[in-house]
Amino acid sequence: MSNAQAVGDLVSQPYKYGFVTDIETEKIAKGLSEDVVRLISSKKDEPSFLLDFRLRAYRQWLQMEEPDWARLGYPPIDYQDIIYYAAPKQQDKKASLDEVDPKLLETFDKLGIPLSEQKRLSNVAVDAVFDSVSIATTYKEKLAEHGVIFCSISEAVKEHPELIERYLGTVVPTQDNYFAALNSAVFSDGSFVFIPKGVECPMELSTYFRINSGDTGQFERTLIVAEEGASVSYLEGCTAPMFDTNQLHAAVVELVALDDASIKYSTVQNWYAGDENGVGGIYNFVTKRGQCRGDRSKISWTQVETGSSITWKYPSCVLQGADSVGEFYSVALTNNCQQADTGTKMIHVGPRSRSTIVSKGISAGRSANSYRGLVQIGPKAVGAKNYSQCDSMLIGDQAAANTYPYIRSQQPQAAVEHEASTCRISEDQLFYLQSRGIGFEEAVSMMVSGFCRDVFNQLPMEFAAEADKLLALKLEGSVG
Amino acid sequence: MTASLSAPTSRTAWLERWLSQLPAPSGPLAAVQERGREALAQQPVPSSRQEEWRFTDLSLLQDLPLAQAAAAPSGGAMSSEAGVLRLQLDGRTDPLAGVELPAGLQVLSDSELAQGLGHTLAATGCEHHWPVELNHASAGRVLALRLASRSKLKLELHSTAQSGLLPLRLLLILEEKAELELCQKIVAQGSGLISLVLEAHLARSARLQHGLVASGQADAALLAHLAIEQEPESHLALSSVTVGWGLARLEPRLVQVDGQASSTLRGLQLVGGRQIADTHSHVSFAGPEGQLDQLHKAVAAGHGRSVFNGAVQVPRAAQRTNAAQLSRNLLLSDRARIDTKPELEIVADDVKCAHGATVSSLQTDELFYLQSRGIDSDQAAGLLKRAFCEEVLRDLPPAARAWCPIEQWQLEDA
Amino acid sequence: MIRPDAPVLLEIRDLHARVEAKEILKGVNLTIRAGEVHAVMGRNGSGKSTLSKVLAGHPAYTVTGGTVHYRGENLLELDPEQRARIGVFLGFQYPVEIPGVSNLEFLRVATNARRAQKGEEELDTFAFEDLVRDRLKVVQMDPAFLDRSVNEGFSGGEKKRNEILQMALLDPLVAILDETDSGLDIDALRIVAGGVNQLATPDNATLLITHYQRLLDAITPDYVHVMAAGRILRTGGKELALELEERGYDWVDQELAALAGEVA
Repeated sequence: MSNAQAVGDLVSQPYKYGFVTDIETEKIAKGLSEDVVRLISSKKDEPSFLLDFRLRAYRQWLQMEEPDWARLGYPPIDYQDIIYYAAPKQQDKKASLDEVDPKLLETFDKLGIPLSEQKRLSNVAVDAVFDSVSIATTYKEKLAEHGVIFCSISEAVKEHPELIERYLGTVVPTQDNYFAALNSAVFSDGSFVFIPKGVECPMELSTYFRINSGDTGQFERTLIVAEEGASVSYLEGCTAPMFDTNQLHAAVVELVALDDASIKYSTVQNWYAGDENGVGGIYNFVTKRGQCRGDRSKISWTQVETGSSITWKYPSCVLQGADSVGEFYSVALTNNCQQADTGTKMIHVGPRSRSTIVSKGISAGRSANSYRGLVQIGPKAVGAKNYSQCDSMLIGDQAAANTYPYIRSQQPQAAVEHEASTCRISEDQLFYLQSRGIGFEEAVSMMVSGFCRDVFNQLPMEFAAEADKLLALKLEGSVG
Repeated sequence: MTASLSAPTSRTAWLERWLSQLPAPSGPLAAVQERGREALAQQPVPSSRQEEWRFTDLSLLQDLPLAQAAAAPSGGAMSSEAGVLRLQLDGRTDPLAGVELPAGLQVLSDSELAQGLGHTLAATGCEHHWPVELNHASAGRVLALRLASRSKLKLELHSTAQSGLLPLRLLLILEEKAELELCQKIVAQGSGLISLVLEAHLARSARLQHGLVASGQADAALLAHLAIEQEPESHLALSSVTVGWGLARLEPRLVQVDGQASSTLRGLQLVGGRQIADTHSHVSFAGPEGQLDQLHKAVAAGHGRSVFNGAVQVPRAAQRTNAAQLSRNLLLSDRARIDTKPELEIVADDVKCAHGATVSSLQTDELFYLQSRGIDSDQAAGLLKRAFCEEVLRDLPPAARAWCPIEQWQLEDA
Repeated sequence: MIRPDAPVLLEIRDLHARVEAKEILKGVNLTIRAGEVHAVMGRNGSGKSTLSKVLAGHPAYTVTGGTVHYRGENLLELDPEQRARIGVFLGFQYPVEIPGVSNLEFLRVATNARRAQKGEEELDTFAFEDLVRDRLKVVQMDPAFLDRSVNEGFSGGEKKRNEILQMALLDPLVAILDETDSGLDIDALRIVAGGVNQLATPDNATLLITHYQRLLDAITPDYVHVMAAGRILRTGGKELALELEERGYDWVDQELAALAGEVA
């Protein structure tokens, strides 16, 4: 049908952020060994506990096998053909933005993330990470007035080693999985957030990840700690240039929420997805986990996944505290040859813990979009509740939508409910909107964003529009 | 993932021992037996490291007596009643000895058997499954029947195992517009393993209503594969009930070879004590406009474990498929466990596929409603549990429904 | 209101159309002038719903011959949304449900698309809310419906009222109402018909497609056309509808048979 074709064409828009910034970069030689791990650590001048952490992870990684259960199809990754450390050549981190290489500032300007005093967003603090290295963090002083620490993790290692030592690796242990072990061994940079007891973070925090280098693996590490009664909303954005090779991105994100604390973590992921034949693009193998350690704590994940050649990620919540709350809201759009295997794990340990999962998958082209989730109710989780809903929208008859929701319950006084459905944009719905004067593209876009509405509603105000725009961007273009 | 130190020798020793003690292959299935034994000798016993067996521990099998069970006292036809053919299957004696076959029912010839046996297993992708190979290795007899075009028949199959291994093998061919109501009762009265492999081929517009009621005991295991091929416009209603088994693993596997057929699947499994019941269903639509209506229910009490895995495959050829699957689970004890996992794989855009799963105890508001009408809490709970089961039982053919004494079932947290 | 000097809004000449391989319209002729109310009646399968779909540009229907001009412009070469923007409105027999898309937003986007076409300025959310609340009165609709998804979970009557609300907002020059009376109880029919009557002006025209007289009791047509086998078989005044009510459609068959005889 011509309409189906047209809808398919609509989601195949060129990638906007595919440019490369021409900047001198310091790189180490390709390959991974214990020496490389030591080199990374020494370049960053790290304390011995961190070197030990890295070495332990590296040795564990050597013993592990790359997982294959997600049935993602990609050629074997040669881990010796990757550069594990690359940084734009500018000496150390600058005290002031004025000293940052203007090319970098220009890059972020082009990405829509202006960092300079005059142009930056008024109510969002941004940590800009360029090829594994944090180049600038805005509003640090203002945040410090409230006792909030927001900086690159390298800086945190120097300035707040005690916090790093106390929390790093406590949510995602080094041996957790193959890619987490790799990250723990070689992570370069990332963001650190600490919200002290009783503080409500006065502004949105955001990290913007930009991959620039073509042969460099990206291994960021993010750690967010919210002490008793603290709360924070954090957003991560990502883009990368277009290369015809694949880049490995294996990040780890750890969240810790103590009693009555709340962390809202949102991601708008728009890594380069490869071309229409599946050449190039990012392998996004990410471990994200939050621990609701305290009673009444809350962790909420919202993700809008539109990029990457392969996405393999399951932002999860371990609901330890009594009455703790976990949430997962996800939109995953795949097109061409993209593969996404994404979902969440809600591990209910504490009594009356509650979780909600809303997953919306949109598959177009020849892509494969899988929801894989686990809801586990432990024997002590009396009164726990979970509700999951995962819906798939199929565009064209060559895209795959798979759903694998695991449920395990060991607690009779708990209720788990899962619902799933599939739909498409029907010709009648399109015609109805068109016959009211709404153009084809806008009609498709309205229906796709209507399909995703439950998730977009969860994004922080400042970014909901951005996500809608991103999806619209993927949906804009000529009517076929 | 925790690294489990496996000791393959001890885990498979029982199987090697069993294989070595089997009588030499003989009879019409000698070749099948031989292949099955070879396969078992090479294939490892399924373990929790395999996704398909992740939650189902087969270690019970090594403690069971697996010598071929002695023939039951009576074989063959049990009684005749107008319109119903009632046969006893004991795996050894000829169930059809001395039976006058009703019109339209024929026994497959040797050449037809050679051609037909294993066809549906292959079509549904389970011909090399371990439980199937186990059946292949040991079954010495197959009941292979054809129901002629436009014939109608009610068939009852009864199997009672005293002790040891009872392999049952069935092959049913339903010709165009044939209609079969098949009620199958399996009872374990001693320690042992019952292995069932059923293949059925439904030609265009054929109808099969199959009700399987299997009741076992704590030291008995049931491994069953029900493989069914459906041609367009055929109707399948497959209902199964398992209760009381130390281990029960049921694998209904359907393929709609050209779509356009309708399939109804119903399952009820009850576990208490330290029992494990596992249903792995697999439905594949190889053509357009197929329909599936699946409801699987489980009740877990005591230390019981219930597993459900429901795969539904809708490839590109299967446009306008309409499939609905629901897994509903009643968890009655904090030492019991329920694992449920729907698995939907869809590569067609014009389809309706919905699935759902719930796990909970009895609804307190429903209990309260009954109590507020003067019914005491135990009685109210009993009523609700029976109502929960009844939703599956009511779809059994009447004869099979009569084999489910729901009042006597242990639905309590023992 | 019949005024021979009124401008022609819609001119259908020898229109042929098919869906898949089946020819449904076999030469429809119809002229609609400003201020007129036309009713097309006929049995199921006579082609009357197809006519409405073709006029609105449904992609499943292919025009195989003939012309349709709307205020002198070739309607058939326009996309469905362009037709709507220039003032051709189709009220659906079975309005689809569109989960997730808010009714209010839908109405606003549609209204603004029409306004932009007319050179009027677009309405922001607040101005639009004022407008929509005012137009809700036309169909006595509860504002709560605005917050729901388009038609989702609406009863049959609610869906039809939502259609007339859209008509009130889009202010079409030619409104084609396909079986608007089907599935309505007496009260809902009265409300819907009342809405249509309120919206009729000397500058616009209405084409009612219906099976039954009861809608025509509430909305008086200037012309009644009887459709059969893909053509307009007879045209008359409102009394023709009453005749149909009395005599049924059997005479149509006879006339058709006679026609077939002539052709043969």
